[in-house]
Amino acid sequence: MARLGLALLAAVLLAPGCQQTPNEPAPKEPARTSGATGVLSVGSVSLNPGREYQTFRPFADYLASRLGEVGIGNGRVVVADSLSKMVADLQRGSVDLFIDSPFPVAFVCDRAGSRPILRRWKRGSDVYHSVIFVRADSGIASADDFRGRIIAFGEPFSTTGYLLPKAALASSGLRLVNYEDPAATIQPDHVGYVFSNDAENTMFWVLKKKVAAGAVNADYFEALAGSRIEELRIIHRTEEVPRNVVCVRDGLDPELIRAVEEVLLAMDEDPQGRSVLSGFEQTARFDRFPGGSADQLGRVMELLAYVEEDLGR
Amino acid sequence: MRLGLKGRFVAFVMATTVAFGVVLTALAVRTQNDRLRHELVERGKLLTTVIAANATDAMALLEVRELRRVLAEVLDQENVLEAVAFDEDGRVYTDGTLENPSRHTPIGEAERRHTIASDALLVEFSGDVMTVTRPVWLGGRPLGGVRLRYSLAGLARDQAALARRTAMVGAIFTVLAVLAAALLTEAVTRPLKEVIRATRSLARGEAVPTLRVRTSDEVGELAAAFNEMTRRLRETTVSRDAVDRVLGTMGECLIVIGPDGTIDRVNKAVCKLSGLPEDKLVGRPCDELIGTPEGFRSLIDAVSSEGPVHGLETELLVKDGAAVPMLVSVAPMAQSSDRPQAFVVVASDLSERVRIESQKDEFVAMIHHEVRGPLTAVHGALGLLAGGVAGELGDRARGLVEIALRNSERMERLVDDLLAARKLDAGKMDFRMEDADLMPLVEQAIEATSPYGAKFEVLLVLDERVEGARIRVDPDRLIQVLTNVLSNAVRFSPAGETVTVSVTRREKNLRVSVVDRGPGIPEEFRDQVFEKFARAGPDDWRHQSGTGLGMSISRAIMEELGGDIFFESEMDVGTTFFVDLPEA
Repeated sequence: MARLGLALLAAVLLAPGCQQTPNEPAPKEPARTSGATGVLSVGSVSLNPGREYQTFRPFADYLASRLGEVGIGNGRVVVADSLSKMVADLQRGSVDLFIDSPFPVAFVCDRAGSRPILRRWKRGSDVYHSVIFVRADSGIASADDFRGRIIAFGEPFSTTGYLLPKAALASSGLRLVNYEDPAATIQPDHVGYVFSNDAENTMFWVLKKKVAAGAVNADYFEALAGSRIEELRIIHRTEEVPRNVVCVRDGLDPELIRAVEEVLLAMDEDPQGRSVLSGFEQTARFDRFPGGSADQLGRVMELLAYVEEDLGR
Repeated sequence: MRLGLKGRFVAFVMATTVAFGVVLTALAVRTQNDRLRHELVERGKLLTTVIAANATDAMALLEVRELRRVLAEVLDQENVLEAVAFDEDGRVYTDGTLENPSRHTPIGEAERRHTIASDALLVEFSGDVMTVTRPVWLGGRPLGGVRLRYSLAGLARDQAALARRTAMVGAIFTVLAVLAAALLTEAVTRPLKEVIRATRSLARGEAVPTLRVRTSDEVGELAAAFNEMTRRLRETTVSRDAVDRVLGTMGECLIVIGPDGTIDRVNKAVCKLSGLPEDKLVGRPCDELIGTPEGFRSLIDAVSSEGPVHGLETELLVKDGAAVPMLVSVAPMAQSSDRPQAFVVVASDLSERVRIESQKDEFVAMIHHEVRGPLTAVHGALGLLAGGVAGELGDRARGLVEIALRNSERMERLVDDLLAARKLDAGKMDFRMEDADLMPLVEQAIEATSPYGAKFEVLLVLDERVEGARIRVDPDRLIQVLTNVLSNAVRFSPAGETVTVSVTRREKNLRVSVVDRGPGIPEEFRDQVFEKFARAGPDDWRHQSGTGLGMSISRAIMEELGGDIFFESEMDVGTTFFVDLPEA
């Protein structure tokens, strides 16, 4: 048992980029396909690398187990704590696949030359968008009325809670300034914003007039408003963006990319694949971008400039 | 089913323990119920207060996510059914779940009013649910509140668990109490059982061991008292055993008859003779065993009129319907003062005697028919010869005929005596009683014996008379007695002597005295004088001329006549026989 424990520990420590917290349990040894010795690295960004590793590990193993024909024998998970580090990993070639929301993916594609290949249906949806709402009795009629007022976003890394609505407002010419205090005095030409860090907080902050407006995932808006939806008014709906995106590093073997695509696209048809998908943040399937990735991510790439600073932190 | 002392005591202890346990359990459950309810209520209040305290800042800052976290932790608490945080308008912020279906729903109006009116706890009960509302105030104004719905169903579970535990403990105590009671009872009843066993052994007549006196309490006293009782009883029993052995050994039958005529006890001889075991005889009417004419009444009458009676001849009715002749003695047996008199019957089996008597009768009958008849003919013929009917006999022939005649006479007397003795023994001799003068009878006897005396040269003299003496008697039998006495006196008197006869009055009796001057009766022979075939000795040839039955017959006749016969004798002086008769 001690020898097996040491072997497992060594396997984890040998995984490059996988930053385990001391309290995380030792992961199982990665699946190995007989004969193949190549390694496929799957990357993600999270401030909780242990949990992220556990989430991604079965997916990476499954993927590697299906890629023996292209020389892949092992799957590896690389968790970075920032997009900048992920960009570096992609550039170094230590991460082969990166899966995240559209803005982070757009960021790494822009910085590391990565290429989006597939959509990921996360939590049952292929696309999502944000709504920016105010109290119906607030007197705010349009986004322009946000000047001199405070708007509440969700978490700083949330696509629909922050990046997408912020980028949408900024692209309309509004100047958004981050404040800590929702009660702070805002310059008339500025749109102040605070992070509520929670969609429910955002909803109540608007309802309780703590902030003038809020932005939440459109999918959750009605549920959050509930019986008080009549008290609210949606000022803006953002464009729909893919729910999650898979991209590959620049320079990855096209044959491997093709093989990865085939495996991912067929994963929901395989019972084992469906089981892995279910534990992989309730992923329904992977599919190709309708109309191509450029069509789906084009707007995101345009908006990236407005949130690039947030992503690059 | 009848419970013994042990069973009753154990049942009592068990019932008491169970009853006590039930009452105790009920009280304990009730007390625990109150205590648990109070604890639950206090716990719910405290929990709600803590939640409110933790939620105050979040509520002030509208940090619903933090409220959700706080409530989510509360939901993990036992018995918490629901936890919500609500605003000052009574609308729910969060119920602690991500889905938060309660979001924006209004709480009750009473709770809302309470919340804006006071920061005190509001506690409500509905069935097994306690609702605690804690308003959250800050800076003197209500921010909202938290409401906790707390299940008291756990109380019922706790009560049930408590009842089970208490019942289990009660059951254990009941079992222990029953065991203790059983052991205690065993300790008490074991000596009692020993006493019971010993008493039963005593009742069966078996050997009884000395009981161990283990304690000095009442049970010990009982054992000691029993030992003392058995010791004393043993002393009595020893003598009784001896009596029993005697009764069991004796050949005679012994029957104890109760006052009501039922058989109380019999000895082994009765069982052997009747062919019935003791338990088949005891309790039966004595009439079924003793064949008296009127059964038990005959015995009572025999006893009551004469006191103890002996020599009753009756029959014992045996198993196969046969009857065994018995000679019975009956005696009243005194019992305790409060019990009527019982009777003791001792019976001897007369079967053998009857058989012998029967043989005697047959023998006598044979003698009578086969001997006496021919002898009479012989005697008659010899008399005729001696009388010259057949012609004059020569001296030598005459002498021989006379010898034959005398011997035939003697043989006739012998046969007559034998027949008479047998008749007397069998009670078959006829007595024709009548009033008669004594003196003529005495004179007839003297006259009849005088020829016989002449042969021995002995003179018979009537010396003294009582004139007019009347007696009730069978004259022939009295003459037979007197003749016999006189013949004896003649035979034992020396030649030339005189036998003196005198009649005298002795109070109410008349006495005939016959005095001879013979050698006297030897001392050692005097007790045998009146027995059959009694002889003084072989030396005196004259003895052989007697049959040896005469004196026996005489006494038997005198007894039948109500008189007596006895003698006085002095060696070398003579003998006097007395014949006494009651004067009529």
